[in-house]
Amino acid sequence: MGPIVSIIDVYKEYSLGKTVVPALRGVSLDVGAGEFISIAGPSGSGKTTLLNLIGCVDVATRGTVVVAGKNTAELSERELTSLRLNTIGFIFQSFNLVPVLSVFQNVEFPLLLQRRLNKAERKKRVIALLEQVGIATHADHRPSELSGGQRQRVAVARALVGNPQIVLADEPTANLDSVTGEHIIDLMKELNERDGTTFIFSTHDARVMSHANAVIRLEDGKIVGREHPAASAHAAGMH
Amino acid sequence: MLGLLLQVSFRNLFRSRINLLIGTIIFFGTLLLVVGGAMLDSLVGSMSRSIVGTVSGHIQLYSERSRDALAIWPTAGTEPDLSPMQDYPRVQTEIAKLPNVKAVVPMGINGSLITSGNTVDLTLEELRGVVRQEKEHGSTPLLEAQRQSLKEHVRQIVRVLHDDLSHAKEMETTDARDPEALAAVERASSDAFWQGFDQNPYAALEFLENKVAPQLPDGDLVALRYLGTDLDGFARSFDRMEIVDGQAVPAGRRGMLLSKFTYEEFLKLKTARRLDLIKEAVDTGTRIVSDPELQRFVRENKQQTREILLQLDRLKTETAVQRLRALLGRSDGTLDELLSSFFDINDENFQARYAFFYGELAPLLQLYRLKVGDVLTLTAFTRSGYTKSLNVPVWGTFQFKGLEKSPLAGNICLMDIMSFRELYGYLSADTSAEIATLKKEAGAEAVDRSRAEEELFGTARKVVVEAAPALIDDKQAFSAAGGDLRRKELQPRAFDQADITKGVVLNAAVILKNPAKLKQTLKDIQALSEREQLGVRAISWQDAAGTLGQLVNLARLVLYVAVLIIFVVMMVIINNAMMMATLRRTAEVGTMRAIGAQRPFILAMVLAETLSLGVFFGGFGALVGSGIVAWLGSNGIRATTDIMYFFFSGPRLYPHLSPGNVIWAMVIVLIVSVVSTLYPAFLAARVPPVRAMQTDE
Repeated sequence: MGPIVSIIDVYKEYSLGKTVVPALRGVSLDVGAGEFISIAGPSGSGKTTLLNLIGCVDVATRGTVVVAGKNTAELSERELTSLRLNTIGFIFQSFNLVPVLSVFQNVEFPLLLQRRLNKAERKKRVIALLEQVGIATHADHRPSELSGGQRQRVAVARALVGNPQIVLADEPTANLDSVTGEHIIDLMKELNERDGTTFIFSTHDARVMSHANAVIRLEDGKIVGREHPAASAHAAGMH
Repeated sequence: MLGLLLQVSFRNLFRSRINLLIGTIIFFGTLLLVVGGAMLDSLVGSMSRSIVGTVSGHIQLYSERSRDALAIWPTAGTEPDLSPMQDYPRVQTEIAKLPNVKAVVPMGINGSLITSGNTVDLTLEELRGVVRQEKEHGSTPLLEAQRQSLKEHVRQIVRVLHDDLSHAKEMETTDARDPEALAAVERASSDAFWQGFDQNPYAALEFLENKVAPQLPDGDLVALRYLGTDLDGFARSFDRMEIVDGQAVPAGRRGMLLSKFTYEEFLKLKTARRLDLIKEAVDTGTRIVSDPELQRFVRENKQQTREILLQLDRLKTETAVQRLRALLGRSDGTLDELLSSFFDINDENFQARYAFFYGELAPLLQLYRLKVGDVLTLTAFTRSGYTKSLNVPVWGTFQFKGLEKSPLAGNICLMDIMSFRELYGYLSADTSAEIATLKKEAGAEAVDRSRAEEELFGTARKVVVEAAPALIDDKQAFSAAGGDLRRKELQPRAFDQADITKGVVLNAAVILKNPAKLKQTLKDIQALSEREQLGVRAISWQDAAGTLGQLVNLARLVLYVAVLIIFVVMMVIINNAMMMATLRRTAEVGTMRAIGAQRPFILAMVLAETLSLGVFFGGFGALVGSGIVAWLGSNGIRATTDIMYFFFSGPRLYPHLSPGNVIWAMVIVLIVSVVSTLYPAFLAARVPPVRAMQTDE
């Protein structure tokens, strides 16, 4: 089985007035299904841009981005949206929950957009997810009534509810304290191992990186290295 | 999905101040629309009741050959030039056959001047009557007493005139006055003149009539508008009409009904009328001291006592003086002075003075220049431009229920259509017969134009009769056939229903069974007229009313402009507010787009939000608006001016709410909300999904 995400010599440039700011400069990357990958690098190195391209919320200036077997450059806006809905889950740095909806409704939202399940099925699925992320007791709360960690759990549940093949997380722990952040990463890892969902997340937190099975290092829009910290940590543990 | 949309939008309602602002705009917009709409509808309803119920009926018919358009209340004040309908009997029969037509009433409107002869003329005429009776049938104690009383009255009038002149002398040079006139007054005031009166009463009367009476200002000229109609049909079709004094004109008889308003306003003793108006105002809580108009009435009453002075003969003057002295606690003073201080009215003494006037003074006076049962001489311009006078008996007065105080409803009197036609200049059958009889009596013959010279001056002339000089014997002259007919004019001259429809009819009112189908019936009548060649034009009451009908349109226009302004203001504010709200929520929208929401979903979400704003605040506004209308409906809005009285079809307007008002207001508000949100919604749908990833705001 081929890679679920395949990026070949991708350039991304932003125009700021007359100057063109290069964000990615010839990036190539393959991500296999079931991987738990961290993209690391200092601010402005192109982490978020890379995630945007993988998440189909943005398109490359040059180069090829293939997600779940589809070349994103060849898809219409509508097809891209549909691809995001059915293939990709998102976890945001600021959680981005809909404030007027309850926890349950926030998680149910992608299912409503997918229009695949009936009401009973949706309810079953949402409750199951909420139980997995350990927030089922707060199903009727509004996001504003939850702590940061709880909100991110809701976000994780929302990202996973539609059975995506890939979950993208942009600095998922940046707005959380270290302990809570650790819990969220553990949760993501657990779901990755159990369901085989591919996780790609950006971070500049070394402890978070240590959970990944691969860390892609970006600097100035270029991949400068690929490490396997989990393997080495595992190896270290073995000693 | 829809549930989610509604839930998101409804929960967003109270989240931001912007929504509250939009909500407030929508609230007031709906409120205004509901209240304004209900008020306008009620106003149009009441105006139509006033116009339809007094003269016009639902539809008016007139000849399509007419030069002017029919206007019951003409703009320029001159009656429109209408041609008589060509075949009215057929028009009435054919149009009455239409299913929605209840009645067709023939009409014609014209104006005339009446002079309410002044007191001196009336008194002199009475005196002459008594003198003549005494001459013809011999004197009786009763006639003797009447003669003396009338003489006293005339002396009293001359005395008033004499006083006036001597006052005038103090102010102006006597050169300006005709010395002959002054001498005449001097002579008429002298005792010698009155002692000699009985020796040659006719000469004395002639002197008074020709030399003295003209120096007294004539009675008022009153312009009277009258509607000639089938009086029975009118009373049946216009059920707001009611008789106040006297009685209805009996079927088939000639005569007129004065409008009570005209009767009170123009034919009542001015002083009494002003007291009535003060009474009316005071009874509704107005204070004389704070009302300039009431103060003016008081001033005029104090100054204009002459009308009363002239009416009273010596005996009555004495009685009045005694009564006034007793009331005012004075032992001296002439009637003039006493009246002046009696009419010095204020808020404290008004009720007492009012009661005294009607209890003690009014019995001595003639309150109305014209009494029910009198014969009124009307002078009108005929269609061909000549003046024509006609004596018409006044049977009573009438008013339209609820419009008693409206000059607009009260400026038209009613007259039988036969008299109307004569004044209008068309001969009725019996007038033609009368003329024929007179011609025969006088031996007049038609002369052929070509043979005129021969007939008149030739040797074989037959038409010219040599006149033998002789005294005119008026007894004999008036006993002849012509005189007989002339006298009969004052007596009931009967006519039947066929006569009513047969002659000239200028316009006709059509009363409908179902007024809601007015437009359809108008079309039906027009079609019928074309098919049957009736030659009539049919117009709605609104067009027929002339200026007044245009006011209905004006009221509508004002509301529409107001609605348009509300519309535009709402659009601008909602648009701006929604733009701001959208900009504030780009992260939320971006997230939804990233998660997989398509553009139409976002569009629908924003629109649903304004729609629910519209439904919620609009509904609330409609509710409060309905409450206000209900409150106004139970309390009524007071008519403060004469014109409002007519528009409100009574002293108060009671607005009522129809479901249409609410639906209309809600539809407008929702359309405005949606239209003004289209652009912000479109912008929201364009928010790129990548916006979700940008955390820096």
